[in-house]
Amino acid sequence: MRWNFFKSTRRREEDLRREIATHLAFAAQDRVADGQDPEAARRAVLKEFGNVTLTLESTRRTWGGMWVDYAGALLGDLRYAVRLLLRSPGYSVIVIAVLALGIGTNLIAFALFKALALTPLPGVADAPALHFVYSRSRGGGLSSLSYPDYRYLRDEHPGYSAVAGASMQPFTLGLRERQLRLVGEFVTGNYFATLGVGAQRGRTILPSDDINPGGHPVVVISDGLWRREFAGDPDIIGKPIRLNSFLLTIVGVADEDFRGAVVGIQNDVFVPVTMLSQVSQFGGGNWLDDRHNSWVQTFARPRAGVTLARARAQTEVLAARLAAEYPIEEKTIRAFSMPFWESPYGAQTYVLPTTVLISAMSALLLLVVCINVAGLVLVRGMSRRGEMAARLALGASRPRILRLLLMEHLTLALPGACVGLVLPRLLEPIMASAQPDAAPLPLYFNFGPDGLVVAFAAALALVSALLSGLWPSLKGTRIDLASVIKDGLLPHSGRKSPMRTALVVCQIAMSFVLLVGTSLTVRSLEGARRADPGFDAAHVGSIVLDVKAGGYDEPGGRRFYRQLLDDLRADPGIEAASLASTLPLTLVDYGSNPEFAIEGHTRGPNEETHFFYNVIAPDYFRTLRIGVVAGRDFTRDDDPAAEPVAIVNETMARRFWGEPARAIGERIRMTEEWRTVVGVVEDIKYARINEDPRPYVYLPFEQMYLPGMTLQVRASSPSFPLLEHARRHVEMLDPNLSILEARMLTEQTRIAFAIYDVSARVLGVVGVVAMSLAALGIYGLVAYSVKQRTHEIGVRLAVGARRSDIVQLFMSMGVRLGVVGAAIGAGLAVVVTRFMASLLFGVSTTDPVSFVLVAGGVVSIALVASLVPAWFGARTDPLAALRHT
Amino acid sequence: MESPAPASRLVLLQGTLDMLILQTLQWGPQHGYAITQMIRARSSEALQVETGSLYPALHRLERQGWVKADWGQTDTNQQAKFYRLTAAGKKQLARERDRWSQLVAAISGVLDPDPAKG
Repeated sequence: MRWNFFKSTRRREEDLRREIATHLAFAAQDRVADGQDPEAARRAVLKEFGNVTLTLESTRRTWGGMWVDYAGALLGDLRYAVRLLLRSPGYSVIVIAVLALGIGTNLIAFALFKALALTPLPGVADAPALHFVYSRSRGGGLSSLSYPDYRYLRDEHPGYSAVAGASMQPFTLGLRERQLRLVGEFVTGNYFATLGVGAQRGRTILPSDDINPGGHPVVVISDGLWRREFAGDPDIIGKPIRLNSFLLTIVGVADEDFRGAVVGIQNDVFVPVTMLSQVSQFGGGNWLDDRHNSWVQTFARPRAGVTLARARAQTEVLAARLAAEYPIEEKTIRAFSMPFWESPYGAQTYVLPTTVLISAMSALLLLVVCINVAGLVLVRGMSRRGEMAARLALGASRPRILRLLLMEHLTLALPGACVGLVLPRLLEPIMASAQPDAAPLPLYFNFGPDGLVVAFAAALALVSALLSGLWPSLKGTRIDLASVIKDGLLPHSGRKSPMRTALVVCQIAMSFVLLVGTSLTVRSLEGARRADPGFDAAHVGSIVLDVKAGGYDEPGGRRFYRQLLDDLRADPGIEAASLASTLPLTLVDYGSNPEFAIEGHTRGPNEETHFFYNVIAPDYFRTLRIGVVAGRDFTRDDDPAAEPVAIVNETMARRFWGEPARAIGERIRMTEEWRTVVGVVEDIKYARINEDPRPYVYLPFEQMYLPGMTLQVRASSPSFPLLEHARRHVEMLDPNLSILEARMLTEQTRIAFAIYDVSARVLGVVGVVAMSLAALGIYGLVAYSVKQRTHEIGVRLAVGARRSDIVQLFMSMGVRLGVVGAAIGAGLAVVVTRFMASLLFGVSTTDPVSFVLVAGGVVSIALVASLVPAWFGARTDPLAALRHT
Repeated sequence: MESPAPASRLVLLQGTLDMLILQTLQWGPQHGYAITQMIRARSSEALQVETGSLYPALHRLERQGWVKADWGQTDTNQQAKFYRLTAAGKKQLARERDRWSQLVAAISGVLDPDPAKG
């Protein structure tokens, strides 16, 4: 449309020129007819007509009012700016590159922010408007709703147009030749409708799939799974697939962008909740009728005009009614609504604080970039004082000149923004390498540049153009005409440039803050890696198996696992082997945290007794080198026929029985039966390296059979090819059973450090960029000063100064800049890093090592950056210097 | 031909050019040069339309929809851009003539007060 406008303007322009040409021709013809000589007639006509260009101009002005005039002038400015920048390509390239770095880094932060905050659930219409509904236990812990409670809310809530539910679970997908682990959701019949998601092929899961328990063997798959594993098969609808060895029919492929209802996680299959008992890996359990079984992640769409407060009040009323009709002891609040953002479920909980940190640091970096460019502009402004003076003298208004300068800076910033748009793409591999393949959940973030990111880039370009260009230009155009003319248009006066010095110091200070931030995150990462998690992951291999998917029933599965452990323990290369239902230190708690009752203990009014537990085989503690403090480990004799037993950790033993030894023989109850505590073991870090000590329970595999378990084996020597051996043992026992994953435990636990890792990597990049910019700034300032003082250097050398004196003169200038900048930066950093506290591990926000390290680094970089121009200055030929300046 | 002596030349009053153009076009579509010639002839060479004002005026009138412009043939078979009065232009002309006569009457009243007494 805009282009059309220019085209039509061009046509009109030609039209007008033709019109005036005919006018001139007619006038000349008349004169010739009167008997004048053609050449004389032509000249006379032109004279009579007057200024053709002026006529063109004033006619043109009638066309589009002010706007066209203004646009035309802007276009002229643009043309001028481009020509000017092409004339000094070095300057242009540096400025564009520096701005690209600054803008690009901010785009990365923005892309992260966008992925989390603006489009948290890709493909879902207006996700942030959704409410989540949770229940709260006495101790304040949040949990999902039970299915009957969910159904009650769905049918009764007046403020919600739809209440849907889902349960994210791992699945084993059986393909012809292999098996695949993936994550998917069990969904209620109105799940897709509530989210506003459709099917690109076939249909979604519908309310008609939510009727008969066990009667709807259907599944909807994600676009990603469809393309990855089925090569986008157009005839996929109606084909059968095996999920957790249960046969389901594919009835649809969901919309392309849709990845389920959990922020940042790629869900690939969607199965009706009515199939839970048949399909879920978590076996048994009365999923659909039991009010004690809380598993429904409930979200709701408020009706138009219903505020959070109103929805909340309505939920409260329903919760109270539920509590009265169907009392359950352990829940104090059966249902309460919370806004999308407060939901503790999904990746935003872990990544949002890091994103905020990265955003803040990027903004700071952009500031450094702008200051750097401002420095360059200031120097150029000096050399363009002549031009500006001439423009002013010829009658240009200051707004007119400022418009020209703004255009110049935009022509620099916009290409910078374009290059910057590519940067998030470049960073993706860095981010990806921070996320181990073994991540327990397939994380997904929408980094891609879209309209929003492009708009943000444009806004950043404008801001940086204003910040870096216009402001110093403004200073530059405040010219005293008389002084410029007197001084012969060249800036001889003012040897010192206090403003440039201030800018460079400012830049160093900002870089100092960024570097301290980087150093703190790197040291947190180191600290987290060094921290003792309470177990020894080195030389331990993990192999994930699911015998149910391999076709084993419970007795068969028990036999298989028992035989496998026997075989492994007989292998001389293997020191210990065991099974566990969950792995330690993988960022999130898996399984559930049911409420435990402790015999002889009366629960306090606000006491939390929901604890996580792990189902393990004998020798687990020996395999992971966790010390048994009192009592004993499980043995194979702790079978279903024997007395139910449990092992607790030290924190739990101390809390309920005072000391570990006194816990032995006491009883706890998870569901129906009481279990006797037979052992107390040392605490470990169960999910996160920075978690507080908490009670934890271990249950014996023989008494709590689960088909999906992780084999844990410890090698006798570091060089032993552990995973191959373990694999071979599994294959020897059953060549058809798929090994879902085989990895060293150290690789698995890397996810626990991923947050520190990502921030350390991103901030590392930011820090290096900031420091190089600061170095560039110091270099520029010292080089400029050397150039300005060439004459002085000549005199000094002529009267006997040594070259080393000259080097010293300018180096001390650079170092002074560094020291002052570092001092200011240190002051700033003390204030700023305080906001990072929650993101650090094992270092204080005023970590002296970081501050000293960064200060040393900054001053040495100042030294190096000023050494080069100082050395060049010292090589000045005194004769030449005196003659030419 | 030299310009007429300054004395015989009148400066157009602000805002009257539009009216003169519209009036000229009343007699039929014309191109720019012909318009200047006609105004000059009708004013007995007293009114000389500056081309620097003529074309902006024509384009302004076109923009306001009072005239319409099309390329066409002259009597001598040459291409030229012809301006034609539109219906709206006719109304505008009537309005301007009206205002003009009021203005003339008012000014004459001031210059030549009460001729009956004089």
